[in-house]
Amino acid sequence: MTENKKKILEMLADKKISVEDAYRLLGVIDADEGGQESTPKVEPGAKARPKYLRVNIIPDPDAVGGSGDRVNVRVPMSLIRAGIKLTSLIPAEAMDKVNGALKDKGINFDVRSVKSEDIEELIEALGELEVDVVSGRGEKVKVYVE
Amino acid sequence: MNRPPMLMHVKIRGENSNFGLWLPLFLLIPLALVVLIILSPLILIGILALWPSGWGKLALLALWAAVVSFCSLRGLKVDIQGPRESVFISVV
Repeated sequence: MTENKKKILEMLADKKISVEDAYRLLGVIDADEGGQESTPKVEPGAKARPKYLRVNIIPDPDAVGGSGDRVNVRVPMSLIRAGIKLTSLIPAEAMDKVNGALKDKGINFDVRSVKSEDIEELIEALGELEVDVVSGRGEKVKVYVE
Repeated sequence: MNRPPMLMHVKIRGENSNFGLWLPLFLLIPLALVVLIILSPLILIGILALWPSGWGKLALLALWAAVVSFCSLRGLKVDIQGPRESVFISVV
């Protein structure tokens, strides 16, 4: 095992990098070494693609003044993908207005710079999303993909 | 593109009323197709008329995006249960 591979595995053990990053880096090292040293092969895409975005809100059963709404939403990732791609249909004039409104809010971002490759990357990245919040009122909010 | 959804289940429960509906989308799809075929000459003329201004292409893309979005609805589930009211929408 080379020094570089050891470093990558140490970084992975320390949770400084993700499994995907480690796999990619190991692949680069393998390619550089011409495949002289064998590493366990992991099928690309072995991790199942996320299919749904889930949002669960569970109210506190002991809350004063009655419990809040219980929310359970499941949104297909394909719908999110289609929704994001709809941004390409926004006319240029409207895009300028959107950019202006974002700038007014202090967000310096050009909506036109979002490309389809970025969208795919964004959706792939959503696969690792997990939000777990317990509010002060005892409500539990959970956002994750499955 | 995904397969289009077949059924939509909508259930709304209020304090005084209950409302439930199974919407057979598989029956509405052929109907929508027939309407689209009937209106296609008008749509085509509209798109061609708007093409030089750039809106024609946009209209065509929007039509396609609407179809893709509809097909992506399969699997959508919204379940909100309040103390007095509840809403349930499921697309299968």
